[in-house]
Amino acid sequence: MGLFHFGAKGTPENGAPESGARENEPDTTRKPVQSPLTLIMTIRSPEDFETLSVRIHEIQSLPPEQNPIWKALDKLKIVHFARFVFLENNTKLAIITTYDGSFDDYLNEFIDEIGDVFNALLQHMKDAPPLPVQRNRDAFGDYVKANDLGAIEPFYSAYPQATVLDIQAALNDG
Amino acid sequence: MPDLFHSDIQGFILRTYAMPALRVFALKIDEPRAARRFLGRLVDTGHTPQLATATDWTVKPQYCLNVGLTYSGLAALELSASSLASFPKEFAEGAVARAERVGDTGESSPENWKGQFASLDVHVLLFLFAQPEDVLESITRQIRALYCEGGAMSEVSVHEARSLPENKAHFGYRDGFAQPVIEGGLPPVMPDVLPKAPAGEFLFGYPSQYQDFSYPVPQPDPLGRNGSFVAFRILAQDCHGFEQFLTRAARQTGLDRELIAAKLCGRWRNGVPLSLSPQAPGEEIPLEKRNSFDYAPSSSVPDAFDDARGYRCPLGSHIRRMNPRSSVVAGGGGLKHRIIRRGLPYGPPYDPSSPDDGLERGLLGLFIGVSLKDQFEFLMSDWANKGSFAPGLRDTKDPLLGNNSNSRAAFLLPVEHQKRAIELPGMSRFVTCRGAAYCFLPSATAMRYIASLSQ
Repeated sequence: MGLFHFGAKGTPENGAPESGARENEPDTTRKPVQSPLTLIMTIRSPEDFETLSVRIHEIQSLPPEQNPIWKALDKLKIVHFARFVFLENNTKLAIITTYDGSFDDYLNEFIDEIGDVFNALLQHMKDAPPLPVQRNRDAFGDYVKANDLGAIEPFYSAYPQATVLDIQAALNDG
Repeated sequence: MPDLFHSDIQGFILRTYAMPALRVFALKIDEPRAARRFLGRLVDTGHTPQLATATDWTVKPQYCLNVGLTYSGLAALELSASSLASFPKEFAEGAVARAERVGDTGESSPENWKGQFASLDVHVLLFLFAQPEDVLESITRQIRALYCEGGAMSEVSVHEARSLPENKAHFGYRDGFAQPVIEGGLPPVMPDVLPKAPAGEFLFGYPSQYQDFSYPVPQPDPLGRNGSFVAFRILAQDCHGFEQFLTRAARQTGLDRELIAAKLCGRWRNGVPLSLSPQAPGEEIPLEKRNSFDYAPSSSVPDAFDDARGYRCPLGSHIRRMNPRSSVVAGGGGLKHRIIRRGLPYGPPYDPSSPDDGLERGLLGLFIGVSLKDQFEFLMSDWANKGSFAPGLRDTKDPLLGNNSNSRAAFLLPVEHQKRAIELPGMSRFVTCRGAAYCFLPSATAMRYIASLSQ
């Protein structure tokens, strides 16, 4: 299917007609389908950090097929990259990802797949939303939005039109 | 799960009426107390007409009457502020405010809507389905007399729809195959092989399709429980434009015109899905088998052809976008955004010999689900009007429903052994929204509750 051919529509490169494009139609080909998430959560206390750190390292040391975060993200197929970082002398935990679409669109699916990981993390956070997140979906969504630093626009992407699904399909094309 | 409380639930949520006529009354509440009394009369046995519930039919009735209330309607009925605040945001904002999100822009934008749907004056929608025309007229007279009583409500607009031969919609496709089967509901008219939908996906008060989650019931409980929502839409169809597109696409590609029509929809015009019959219309496939398919091997259809690339049924076709079944989609929720579709066509059948007859034709569509945001709006914004939910669709949109007014709009037709999909340019917006309203569908108990507010 030529999924690596993300040439702008309406260019000679992909054979679409050059003429006839209406004026004032914005060129959206550089607007990324991907979005940044820079979620910074404040850890309640040094004791909470200790427990949290042990728990995260436990999860991350599991083989991929047993790591609940990897398993969930593999199923969701909207996250390109994800990493955890402790910040500011271990008083904050950052989750930094690049994902497709808008957070709201897949909030329910996200919670269904990875809600329990957040239940484990959020019990150590200051101003955490009510738990479990499965029963408090809007509050969880509001918490993430309120604690997402986003990015200083514009968000750069080397392949602004390619989703996780596009890339995986193209790679499978061989 | 035990059976649902059928006599409390509006009939068209759980049942296909299969009646040939629909008249929709858009009403404005002038006298709240009289309007509340009117709603109470519809659920007070002994009076005619009565609200149609999902109670089992021993004899099919000659008419079915259902009721939808907009948010401004609930306010006009003088529900308490705390009750109004318990309804979801998207319903409170209403179809006009949410138009851009669902692609109702340009020609489809509310400023072009008819029947005053763009105003806040549409408070109540009455849906009257009927079998013989004389019953439609006689019940209409009775309803009109009732809602005029005490100056309760005035008519804002009235909309008519009539079925077309062979259960077809105006683009010529046989319709009505895929409907979710609801746990505890009624047996389906058309067998559905997909997993049953939990009751809470379509009714307030039950576990939903999401883990450990029920959608919050609007308060108080007797008002919200067993209720649902409908997006009512008047959708004009450009049959001439659609047929012209097929002719041009056939000339461009050398493919059969009817094959292109099937690729756009995902079904041949007789309703046979491409997944079951990719090369020919498959007339021999019986009607009741025309919904028994999947796009990938699944628990429902273990031996399904794995059509991951859409060589049989394009990933961007109408039915695959609206119900991706077990296809791989972003978020993995291919079975979690289902919707109940009711409605009937309006306007005369399209006659190719007089393509410019100037007559509007289309569909009075009802799209039912417990969450307008997660069902109707999600389908329109993410699956109809974007391409990022499935691999390789780029920025294409649903070929039938999508906002394809952009001159670069195209349809991608994947072909086996070809690196690139065939691109069919020159799409246009074949379906234009001419009016819409978001309505709460109260249970019989809820209507009694509203009527009791008069006391």
